[in-house]
Amino acid sequence: MRAGSGNRGGRALLVRKLVLGGLGLLLLVTSGASFYRHRHLQEAVVLSPGVAEVKKLSEYFDGIRGTINDCNLYFFEGEEPGATVLVMGGTHPEEPAARLAAWLFAENAVMEHGRLIVVLSSNRSGTTVTRLGGAYPANFTIPTDWGQQTFRMGDRWSNPLDQWPDPEVYIHYPSGQYLAYVDIRNLNRTWPGRPDGTLTERTTYAFMELIRQEDVDIFIDLHEAELQYPVISTIVAHDRGEELATFVSMMLSDEEFNIGMEYSPQNLHGLSHREVGDYSDAISLLFEAPEPFLDATRGKTTREQLLTGVDEFVMKAGEHGLLFERIDEGGWPIDVRVGRHTSTVLQTMESWTILNPDRPLSCRGVPRYAEVIERGLGHWLHDPSKAAPGRVVTE
Amino acid sequence: MFTYAGIVLGVMVIVYIAAKSFKLSTELSMLAAALGGALAGGFGLPAQHIAEGAMTYLDINLIFITATLFMNILKDSGGIAFAVRGILSRFHRSRSLLMVLLTVLLLLPGALTGAGSVTVLITGGMVAIVLGTMGISKARTTAIVFIIAGLSAAAPPVSLWAMITAAGVNMPYIGFFMPLLVPCVVASLVTIFILGWRGGEIDLEQALQQLPRPPGGMSWLRVILPFVVFVLLILIGRRWPHDTPVIGLPLMFLCAAATSYVLSPIRLDFLRISRETIEQLLPLIGTLTCVGVLVQIMTLTGVRGLLAVTAVTLPVALVFATLFVVLPVSEAVLMWGAAPVLGVPLVLLFNTMGLNPIVALAGMSVIWPLGDALPPTAIIGRLSVEVVGYRDAYAKFLRSCVVPAVIIMVIGTLMVIFSSELSFLTGL
Repeated sequence: MRAGSGNRGGRALLVRKLVLGGLGLLLLVTSGASFYRHRHLQEAVVLSPGVAEVKKLSEYFDGIRGTINDCNLYFFEGEEPGATVLVMGGTHPEEPAARLAAWLFAENAVMEHGRLIVVLSSNRSGTTVTRLGGAYPANFTIPTDWGQQTFRMGDRWSNPLDQWPDPEVYIHYPSGQYLAYVDIRNLNRTWPGRPDGTLTERTTYAFMELIRQEDVDIFIDLHEAELQYPVISTIVAHDRGEELATFVSMMLSDEEFNIGMEYSPQNLHGLSHREVGDYSDAISLLFEAPEPFLDATRGKTTREQLLTGVDEFVMKAGEHGLLFERIDEGGWPIDVRVGRHTSTVLQTMESWTILNPDRPLSCRGVPRYAEVIERGLGHWLHDPSKAAPGRVVTE
Repeated sequence: MFTYAGIVLGVMVIVYIAAKSFKLSTELSMLAAALGGALAGGFGLPAQHIAEGAMTYLDINLIFITATLFMNILKDSGGIAFAVRGILSRFHRSRSLLMVLLTVLLLLPGALTGAGSVTVLITGGMVAIVLGTMGISKARTTAIVFIIAGLSAAAPPVSLWAMITAAGVNMPYIGFFMPLLVPCVVASLVTIFILGWRGGEIDLEQALQQLPRPPGGMSWLRVILPFVVFVLLILIGRRWPHDTPVIGLPLMFLCAAATSYVLSPIRLDFLRISRETIEQLLPLIGTLTCVGVLVQIMTLTGVRGLLAVTAVTLPVALVFATLFVVLPVSEAVLMWGAAPVLGVPLVLLFNTMGLNPIVALAGMSVIWPLGDALPPTAIIGRLSVEVVGYRDAYAKFLRSCVVPAVIIMVIGTLMVIFSSELSFLTGL
């Protein structure tokens, strides 16, 4: 009797283990396929007629060769000589407007004066993973005139598959400042980088080499921020960029949209607006656009929220004076956020030219704020199937 | 959106209660609540989010496993018994000195690593045995280990709540040392003296008889060297962070475990100890894995946002008055996830009110760990219960925590309210 019940108990346990094991395997296969698709999604870039050359980051620092962060660099040579500007998207791949604004330059810009270098995935590793606990969608789709284009959604940090483990505390090089351990994988906390450091530190070091070797005059790091974050809708400028940033802020606030200007704090290390200015001759600027998707008080975490920026909970926080940027039922659509960035970059070139007429910068083909909102950013994304041979690359 | 998220939250709560009533474990009940929430929210059974959520606390799980393996090897080699007997023999005459010494022993591991679990696993068991011989009840001993372990996690130099929140508002992690150190040390001493002062005289002879005898050949060198290896690895990483590879806490614990294994005066069955370690930790690992899934689904469905926006839009006086409830409860549900969810909006709120965000965040960081004894997770509480060997009702252990917990809540809340006046602590 007892032996019989023991056998039944053993069989029940075995069945339970088999069922749970089977469910686990099913979860492993389905989620694994989803992660694989995310990491290997090919994003097409139809090169603008203005792109003279596409290089790899490793051409400036060999220590990044063969890694996932050996990203594309798009070089635009002006019809006339001038200064050199570097526009960087994808520092934090969870901020899609930054990448998409740079994308509009890569697919449409033609330099009339000076040189332009564009980066779409400065932390490519971070575009292959989404934030654990954040419930981000793996990708998002932008409607275009010819159909639609899908992009990878990313994280704030490099993928742990590419850089792991984290230390128990992150000590920034060279300042020695203590930062949260996870920020050792944050591209905007590892400037100016180290040649023998972690993947993220080597990536910023490679960009510093690019900036130094190409004599970059203006470095622009594109970002988005949650509305509860005080540094929002603004230009953060290194000491040497104060005059330029103030001029840009004044012009844009007068003619297109409100944008502030802030000084890069002296004692906050690892950020591009501080370290690029300190460790190169470039003027370093960082642009922030609003992204309600990043707010801790956001509601449902969906592709729709990511692209429309409509969120009742964030609005509620705004009603209580907890936000540093307004939000209403219209949200913050992706077109508005991208348009802010394209206009700010273009205005920076114009203002620079006024301040430095002997070394001008001018660019055509890229839409400004009002145009992006009117026609949608997808209008300026081109059909890879119709592109001329050799004029499509993947990110 | 409010109605939608409210309904999803309701479904999650109902499913959790129903699962518990069907005698499912806490971790499986949380998983059921998460799956119920995803279904109610219209997301079906999202494999990507379930898997992502399950991996959220992978690093912490690895720390638990490797640290416990280290302690189990040290225990099986007789090192723990040797150390406890040594401490008792040397300091049994001065109760106060012994208590201060034990407080330091409890504060150090968590302060260095930012994890209260490491304190419990590394020195918690040893300290508990000493406290037991001092005539302190198991419930009070567990409370002492739990509360000081929590404070050790909040103590500098590594306080994850402060670091994660500071990172969330782009505030450098500087100026936190004294605002965190002072309340943590004061509260730890208050805790051990309140809970441990009453107790019998230490009968050394009897205590030594009760304690297991270490094997011949065990020495202070064999006990201390593994800790030296661990501390050295941390210190080397701190002193020469840019000349040494990042190996992470789990590998550091493994190095300490390997040292202890090699130095053991008796032959140890490594596979048996490893197996027992995993069996011992399975409920905790399961809980952390399922908490990750729960948080992911709460975020996906907007339930997390509902809780966060509700907390930060309360009247300011109410925010102050309820910090002592909101913070521990958020910790109980989200663990360190509470820092980005609630910490970030609260610090921004305090900043806009003109309070000192560093001192206010330090005050919050002192309160947060109290939630680690509360369900549904109760990770550190359950770990303390297990390590101390407390077998009575969990509620009785919680009752023992009440007095020091209230003192800590008062200290933390006052630090937030008077953060501007206390800004001198930051040294900035």
